[in-house]
Amino acid sequence: MSATLTFWHKEWLAAWRNYHVLILAVVFVIFGIEAPLMAKLMPDLMKLALGDQLSIKLPQPTSSDSWQQFYKNTSQIGIFLLALVFSGAVSQEVSGGTLVNLVTKGLPRYAVIIAKYLVAVVQWVVAIGGSFLITWGYTAYYFPDDKSPHVWLAIWPVLLFGLFFVAVVLLGSTLINSNYAGFLTAALVFAGLALLNYVKAVKRWNPIALVTDNLDLVRGTEKITHILPACGVAVVGALVLLGVTIWAFNRKRL
Amino acid sequence: MAILDLQRVTKRFGDKQVLKGLDLTVPTGSIFGFVGENGAGKTTTMKLILGLDTLDAGQITVAGQPVRYGRTVANQVVGYLPDVPAYYGYMTPTEYLTLCGRLTGIRQPDLANRITAMLKTVDLPQNKHRIHGFSRGMKQRLGIAQALLNRPQLLICDEPTSALDPNGRSDFLDLLASLRGEMTILFSTHILPDVERISDQVGILHDGVLQVQGDLNALKRQYARPKVQLEFASPEIAQQAVAVIGRPATQVATHVAVPFRGDYATMVEAILKALLAAHVVPLVVDRQETSLEDIFREVTA
Repeated sequence: MSATLTFWHKEWLAAWRNYHVLILAVVFVIFGIEAPLMAKLMPDLMKLALGDQLSIKLPQPTSSDSWQQFYKNTSQIGIFLLALVFSGAVSQEVSGGTLVNLVTKGLPRYAVIIAKYLVAVVQWVVAIGGSFLITWGYTAYYFPDDKSPHVWLAIWPVLLFGLFFVAVVLLGSTLINSNYAGFLTAALVFAGLALLNYVKAVKRWNPIALVTDNLDLVRGTEKITHILPACGVAVVGALVLLGVTIWAFNRKRL
Repeated sequence: MAILDLQRVTKRFGDKQVLKGLDLTVPTGSIFGFVGENGAGKTTTMKLILGLDTLDAGQITVAGQPVRYGRTVANQVVGYLPDVPAYYGYMTPTEYLTLCGRLTGIRQPDLANRITAMLKTVDLPQNKHRIHGFSRGMKQRLGIAQALLNRPQLLICDEPTSALDPNGRSDFLDLLASLRGEMTILFSTHILPDVERISDQVGILHDGVLQVQGDLNALKRQYARPKVQLEFASPEIAQQAVAVIGRPATQVATHVAVPFRGDYATMVEAILKALLAAHVVPLVVDRQETSLEDIFREVTA
């Protein structure tokens, strides 16, 4: 436990000094501001772009448009940016030989994986949670309507998806000694889950629902109970993947 | 009493059998030179001792404790300096040593005091400069600091001098020699003069087993094959000398070496008589003692 805590501190120092925290903060703050702003400005931008050619009357933007933009940013760019940042978490240390000294001093290998996992999950939660709070504030200011009654409920599945997604990234980074292995593994798994979503029978159990059904949850057109099986699979999947990662790392030559 | 004991250790990588029943005993308090060609299996042996790799067969004990892959308690009494120490470049030496110290269970304020003392010992400044700006020599010195931080009973150094310049090498060997009596040191190398300079015990690894092992002076006596070393003005004259000496001799450029047993003066007299009779005059005549290199060549031939 104390070794895990020591390595956790080291991981935070690395995240800070290698500017990972700064990069994530800048990008996710921009996401947070951009979503409601784009929703607000979109009709004016389209009028400016198309001018008199626009014959139809554009509907007034609502809070729902703001949240649509937020979840689009999060699920299409945000989670992959996080995957990219964590991609070399294990592979970089193995190929660089930086763990040899520490393991010979008694650092248990499981502590490496657990500390890296927890630090990545915390960064995920803070990045997405922070971005969410900014969007929430601006959306409430720009669009004081009742189109988005379940804003707070819809963010939890995204945060939960992080448990699963970070575990996938770490497994990829552990299995293959390449800085992009974690990212590519995560991208492949994401694509695989997206394809699996076409099978109606498994849709409710597919963890990808945690980042695709959010707008329906915000609007109240879908209940959280609908994706509870997917939540369960994501949590169990994360634990299994974490176990497999520790098992694989225990057998890895440093 | 041995601090480190390897018995019938075998290790294979794919088709290559690197270690074939290696037996190695390092006496407590010794400076043990672990010698072998590149690729002989020295680094593999060290990684096995440190529990960084799995044994195929055999047993390793450090300070009486068996070494197990991945979670050896013996590591708490071992300090390790890899051939190319890898660090986190974004850390300062103090931060890195703090990380190492915490992992070995050293508590504050003892840890802070030890770090200050250790950085002074290896002549590194205690400031905010990060490791990524360090030279190779500075990194090697930081390596020895982290290896010594927990005051280990056994210090293991893997090819510690191979990438250092002559001054850095000399300083590093002096530092190792200064630790004599405080801890046991096992260091691997293929630079034989380094071993002769500071080691009292030697093991030569070849073909997966230890060909010889023991006290360096005793080995020199055991393998004693002194030579009369002659130097001539040109390779042609040296070649002529080999022909007239009338006994086994080897020539390398202008040098001729004549192995002998018995009395040195008698041998020199006989050689000079034969040379002068043929009007071949050496520029230098000297006695060449048995070196570790001679022993190494003999056992690895």
